[in-house]
Amino acid sequence: MVSRGKFVLHSRAVPPLTAGDYVLQGTQTLTTDGNRPTAPYEAHLRVTSPRFKLPPDQILSTYPPANSEGAYESRLPQIVIKRRTLPWERAADPADRKVPWLALVVIAEGEGQISAEVAIADCVTPGVQLTGPNDVARGIYLAVPKTTVTKVFPTKQDLPLLAHVREVDLEDTELAMGDDDGFLAVVMANRLPQFDRVACKPVRYTACLINLEGQLGVLPPPSTPVKQFAALAQVFNVLDYYQYADTGGGSPDKVVMATTVQPAAAAAGVAAAAATGAAKTKAKTPTAKQAKSAVPQPGVAEDWRATTRKVENVALNTASAQAAYAVRDAMKGGFRLPIEGIVAEPVYRFPILAHWSFTCDGGGSFESLMRAIDVGLLGTLPGPGATRKRPECAPPPKGDAPPAAPAARPKPEVAETGHVGLAHQTRVGDAVRAWYRGPFVPSPTDREIATTPRGPALAHTSDQLRAVVPDGREDLSLAIAFEIGRLLALSRPAFVGAVMQWRREQFGAERARRLAGRATANTAKLADALKGNTLATFGPLLGKTLVLETAVKRAAVLGPVRPPVDPGRPIDFLQDDVLGLLSVGLAIDASVLQTLKKTGSVSALDGVDVPLGKTGDDAAQFNHLLQTVRAEVDRIATDALGGKRPDTGAGAARAKGAEPADALDDMIRALIEKWKRET
Amino acid sequence: MATTRFTATSILSELKSMPVGYKPTFGDRDPKLGEDRVTPLAVRDWLARLRLLEGVPFNNLVADSELLPLESIRFFYLDRAWTDALVQGALSVGTVTSSDRAQLEALYPAVRKEIDEQERLVRLPGSEARQFGAAAQITGFLLRSRAVSGWPGLQVRAYRREIGNDEDIIPESSPDRIKLLRLERLAPAVLLALFDGVPAVVHVEEPRQGVQFGIKLIPQGDSNSFTATVRARDVQTATDIEPKLNIPVSFRPGAPGVLDLRATGETFLGTAQTHMNADGKLDGAEFALQMIRFPYRQVFGDPNSPNAVEKGDVFRPTVARNLARLLATFQEKIP
Repeated sequence: MVSRGKFVLHSRAVPPLTAGDYVLQGTQTLTTDGNRPTAPYEAHLRVTSPRFKLPPDQILSTYPPANSEGAYESRLPQIVIKRRTLPWERAADPADRKVPWLALVVIAEGEGQISAEVAIADCVTPGVQLTGPNDVARGIYLAVPKTTVTKVFPTKQDLPLLAHVREVDLEDTELAMGDDDGFLAVVMANRLPQFDRVACKPVRYTACLINLEGQLGVLPPPSTPVKQFAALAQVFNVLDYYQYADTGGGSPDKVVMATTVQPAAAAAGVAAAAATGAAKTKAKTPTAKQAKSAVPQPGVAEDWRATTRKVENVALNTASAQAAYAVRDAMKGGFRLPIEGIVAEPVYRFPILAHWSFTCDGGGSFESLMRAIDVGLLGTLPGPGATRKRPECAPPPKGDAPPAAPAARPKPEVAETGHVGLAHQTRVGDAVRAWYRGPFVPSPTDREIATTPRGPALAHTSDQLRAVVPDGREDLSLAIAFEIGRLLALSRPAFVGAVMQWRREQFGAERARRLAGRATANTAKLADALKGNTLATFGPLLGKTLVLETAVKRAAVLGPVRPPVDPGRPIDFLQDDVLGLLSVGLAIDASVLQTLKKTGSVSALDGVDVPLGKTGDDAAQFNHLLQTVRAEVDRIATDALGGKRPDTGAGAARAKGAEPADALDDMIRALIEKWKRET
Repeated sequence: MATTRFTATSILSELKSMPVGYKPTFGDRDPKLGEDRVTPLAVRDWLARLRLLEGVPFNNLVADSELLPLESIRFFYLDRAWTDALVQGALSVGTVTSSDRAQLEALYPAVRKEIDEQERLVRLPGSEARQFGAAAQITGFLLRSRAVSGWPGLQVRAYRREIGNDEDIIPESSPDRIKLLRLERLAPAVLLALFDGVPAVVHVEEPRQGVQFGIKLIPQGDSNSFTATVRARDVQTATDIEPKLNIPVSFRPGAPGVLDLRATGETFLGTAQTHMNADGKLDGAEFALQMIRFPYRQVFGDPNSPNAVEKGDVFRPTVARNLARLLATFQEKIP
């Protein structure tokens, strides 16, 4: 037995029988009392094993997780299978049963094609025959050109190293993951996912568990190993072929003979050749050639995230019966460009037992990410030297200067206490700034805002929690917290119901009980009143008493009466001598104002001269002012009279009593004439 | 009239005096545990979750994105006044009359105390013992990193003091360990953790689910070319070879990132300290043993603390390897 947290590794678990049909023959010889012949026994039995499709319950886990994004550069993808013998249940190489028939290959977008469901006879490279019973009638296959096979697929010698058996403790939930016997088969891939450092963008990979039966010979021969490699995402890109193919569907002749070079037709060619919708998103992917001149663009990742999100949407929205199929189908997006017929080299087909996709969105590993992390208390702003560029990206190629970085957003206003200054529009519409601090603070805070004799203070509305800090701004933190709590509670009818019920059943019941107690305590006194009256008149009596009492002690019962009009704010300087103020301010004789106050008639003002400023030292300035005013009066009057120049200079004769016609009179006259003409 | 004694004024004064002398009755009785609570469980639990900021919009947690830049971790104290205001807001729902409010005021100290105790019960992992009493000063951190999106299920542990290598993870109820009140991914790349106390050391560890295979990439010169190594293990004892021995990994020419397993395996085989050459053959289990990478653990703490362990010594897991080859025997017996 394996102890918890430990595990035992076994190189392989080779079952004595491979999958297939067998006949079990038995004969028995009875020799007692002479030779008695017995009928031979013959039993047909079939050893079954998945061949074209892995039952989903056989997959215990995959790494990287399906449809995930992460910095997986230093980890080999792997799949953990429940049945320990599975990788050896078929003989890929009948001479050497140690060689598993399963391999996990990792391909990037453009390096291969994952087919739709076809009959299983079409799932292998044409010419390859698989004998024996099959598990399903239809399956999917991976079509890869020879280049991909040579560069990415494991060699035959690698295969035994890529599969092993792990024995774990069944009680250990982390390692056993719900297995039934504690033995798991693990199949590793031989390729490290790469982040595209040249174009500085994530790369989407699909890991396929493929069947190698009958096709071991296709695998690449051992090569001379190297100790260093240059990270490039793709070893092969089918888009390069589309680049030069004509719109008619891509004849290999054109590529091989180089008769036509039509890079501009690339997008159209893709759309025409690939009927699937997924191909359109693929067309946006920069090819390897374009990528080399591309500059790092943070926005590029969005294209790739879209696929991940699409898969998630499919997972959430599809009916449960078809969800598994739909999700797997959506993951194939980007791996659907037909390769056969386009690529001018042999294309091989391998049946896919299981596949999942993931995105390598950064260099490094968990360790490098965690070591590079910026540590601080909340409220620490990134320093001036903080660089936003992804460190793992290669420098942009020389010659093409990268576009200037967008202007940095102004730094937020952060106080040492963790408060952030934010724009705040008050209820009357003033645009001011207020302080806000979330629940996360850089230093310990006091819990009690204030305490009442009965305990901690309780706010009933958010406004009670607004505060003004010494710099004159409002601190809205707690008021906002109150509002969030209130709105979150209101959004949960179940909670509101529970609170209301609690209040009603406990407080309401207690109140009723006490009132009843009070009422029954007074029954002796009530008895006198009830003596002369029957019960029928008690109700009206009670009501009448209530109304009368309320009328007498209105303020005590109903509360104080609010006056119909609120007095305005008193204006201090008007408390004194108003007439004196006016007389001084307007330079009018006080006696005139006295008359005005007494009679209330404005005509008293007619005889008052309008004081003119003295033309003293600044005579020029005064004249200029006068000219301007006159010119403006003229302009307005001219407008009003429809172009006719008014008779100006009438102001001088004003005090004489018989006033000559002025601009207003002209206007009235003109209007009257116009009216006469019209009638 | 004698009936004037039972007047509207007296009824009103009775109503007014009610909340002052109000003694709460228990809304939630658990005779088994002997626990009586004023607040019903449903209300208490929801308010405790609210205290731990469940459902609070992220904008209100972090007011400006500059406060939590890309690839950063920010530690903080939790402002209890803020969370109290949150709860008060939730309790204010449905208080219509002043008598409702008076009742709430009378009840609030008891309710607040009960929610304090409930906070520790929100997150109760199966193997952890229940802790009683109110939560201590709550602290926590926000981690925004690709490490969060790429490694779902990060393990986070906080300690009151540096305890060194905790290969056998001590339970949350231990005095050295600090209970985790909440651990949640708020966004694909943002992780929120709340602790029941002020930790001296915080461990963030790669998820242990499943064992991973991998290598260590070493950038060469320009950032686009790499070599890779694997720290060799002794397959007989399944421990790292001391002194540290890094075996270079071989790659296939022209195929970036594709390992040449045979060549790498032979390098292992040729290294005497690995003891792999017992039978002169390379097998899958031995190879897997070399390639297994253990979860990395990042320790946040004071490196100058006297108890601080030397970097790299914090976590060194071992692998048990069965030397009796069960399956080989099995195969021999049934030819």
